[in-house]
Amino acid sequence: MRVAFILFLASTLVSRADDNAAGRWEGTVQIPSRELVLIVDLAAGSDGSGGWQGSITIPGLGIKGAPLTDIAVKSDDVVFSIKSALADQRAGPAKFNAHFVGNGKLAGNFEQAGNSAPFALEKIGPSQVEPPPRNTAIAKEIEGEWKGGYELFGYPRKVTIKLQNGGAEGASAEFVIVGRKENKLPVDHVVQEGEFITIDSHETGLSFEGRARNGEIQGTILQGPIEVPVTLRRSN
Amino acid sequence: MKTFTFLLLLFCLTSAAQAQSMFRGNAAHTGEYPGVAPREFHRVKWKFPTGARVMGSPVIQDKIIYFGSDDGNVYAVDAESGRQIWKTATRGPVPCTPAIDHGMVYVGSYDGKFYALDAQSGAVKWKFATEGERRFEAKGLHGWQPKTQTFADAFDVFLSSPAVMEGAVYFGSGDGNLYSLDANSGDLRWKFKTGDVVHASPAIANGVAFVGSWDSYFYAVDALSGKEKWRYHAGEDQLVHNQVGFQSSPAVVDGVVYTGCRDAQLYAFDAATGKEKWKFDNALSWVITSPAVAEGKVYFGTSDSSLYHVVEAGNGKPILKKEDKAYLFSSPAVTNDVVFIGVLNGTLEARDRNSGELLWEFQTEKSKQNADWVLTAERRFNVPLLFFDSWREAPLVSADREFAIGAIFSSPLVANGVVYFGSTDGFLYALE
Repeated sequence: MRVAFILFLASTLVSRADDNAAGRWEGTVQIPSRELVLIVDLAAGSDGSGGWQGSITIPGLGIKGAPLTDIAVKSDDVVFSIKSALADQRAGPAKFNAHFVGNGKLAGNFEQAGNSAPFALEKIGPSQVEPPPRNTAIAKEIEGEWKGGYELFGYPRKVTIKLQNGGAEGASAEFVIVGRKENKLPVDHVVQEGEFITIDSHETGLSFEGRARNGEIQGTILQGPIEVPVTLRRSN
Repeated sequence: MKTFTFLLLLFCLTSAAQAQSMFRGNAAHTGEYPGVAPREFHRVKWKFPTGARVMGSPVIQDKIIYFGSDDGNVYAVDAESGRQIWKTATRGPVPCTPAIDHGMVYVGSYDGKFYALDAQSGAVKWKFATEGERRFEAKGLHGWQPKTQTFADAFDVFLSSPAVMEGAVYFGSGDGNLYSLDANSGDLRWKFKTGDVVHASPAIANGVAFVGSWDSYFYAVDALSGKEKWRYHAGEDQLVHNQVGFQSSPAVVDGVVYTGCRDAQLYAFDAATGKEKWKFDNALSWVITSPAVAEGKVYFGTSDSSLYHVVEAGNGKPILKKEDKAYLFSSPAVTNDVVFIGVLNGTLEARDRNSGELLWEFQTEKSKQNADWVLTAERRFNVPLLFFDSWREAPLVSADREFAIGAIFSSPLVANGVVYFGSTDGFLYALE
């Protein structure tokens, strides 16, 4: 009976932490010589698995609604990472380790690229988690593997894009560019609108935009201001 | 015997001092500094404050250090005590290295004037007006946006450092000219027009002036007449103008010209014909450092890939490669057994000349403070925080932040066991 009571109490504490964590949080992180404003949205996942979803906005760093990952709410502790923005090649994703300090406030440490700085957040309202961009389905005739090539700074590059439909989650794509080495780009957005198809790899800043006509996709590889034309044809 | 040894030592020391009176040590820009150098760091002997960044390199003559600062002044400082002897104001930043010859200090300024100062007093002996200074600029430079907008290059950080030889002073200018002036009077001997900014420092050897321009050509010009002897066409970049232009200053040794280029190559040319002997590809990473050449080896560094290289002077074959943590714009100073080089993360490095291993490093206070988290905890550039926006002024602001952490663009001078260099924190340092 005592064990059951403890378990009940523990579950109450967990659900209280859950209730506390959900919402829109606003505050600042003080890095040397600069204060950054943070807006964090946390909400329980809609799939009933007990998971969490979240997004973050940092106006000073051009980050709006970036998805959060590795969110964990346990007792008085809340931890989460930013999925790709601010990630360092060696140290990994930017992380927040926080704990409740009462009165709807969170405090903790922000870690980015091995640096660490204190931050404080205050709950200011209900959660407004930014939904990630949704992939659309693609037409049957453009499913499959496409290949092309282009030249940049005097170096030839080969492009392979493999497109496939994935049910309710829309289409997915493999996006590979081979120059001096092979780069498999993480694709986070695939959209077809009429003849036009867009494939984005926000993590690398690379995109492909093209128009599917007459058995080929005429398009452009984009990276910042660099736009290089490329025509993709079905691989044999 | 004792007297002979003393006189020999005195001669060696005097020669060493004489050989360090212009950028890269001499008119051929070999970058070799004879004499002893500290294999261990003991202390900051002194540091001398100026009002702004010290981008150029110090030179030494008769135990006096001469250098310029972005505060517009040219300084003479006692090499032993770090006490100011004189300062002379120009009307613009002085991000270059003076040359000392026959009691005169020669130096350029962003005010578009070239100055000759009395080395004892700093008094202006003469000044020469160029057609005006400017930085390299291009539309959509480095991918900055909007791409139809012209941007000045934040990484075009140096002015051309003068070289003096046989009564003539040679320097490049943002007006696109390579100038030769009479060292005594400041009268124009000749000027040689290139197609764009010349901020590299000319090397003079065997009656020929060698220099590269941002027009993508490297030139050999007769030092007496100013007539072109040959030119070499390096890489171009019509897309974002990133992989083009000579910012590195050449070194000339045994009839071969060595120079870096923003097209990511280190070149070796036949000094007589301009024929390419070999080139070393750095995979899209600029070679801004001016190569040092000593005993059949070429020492240089790269920017984005942040690599310290030593290659064979004869054929460009790699001897050793060491990974640094941040961009190298500072040029290596090669001493008997130690190589010194500045790093843009605010660190001065001392490396073993043979193995390339790091012997010691010195970090500026500004770098330790790491304002804006410009650096990662490992002292690499924190790219996601620094360059997240390529629009309008954002890249320029980012570059300013990047430079402001006590970065070392200055090429070290080594004299009498002391290492001298400047930093963007506004100090000239003397380490021993």
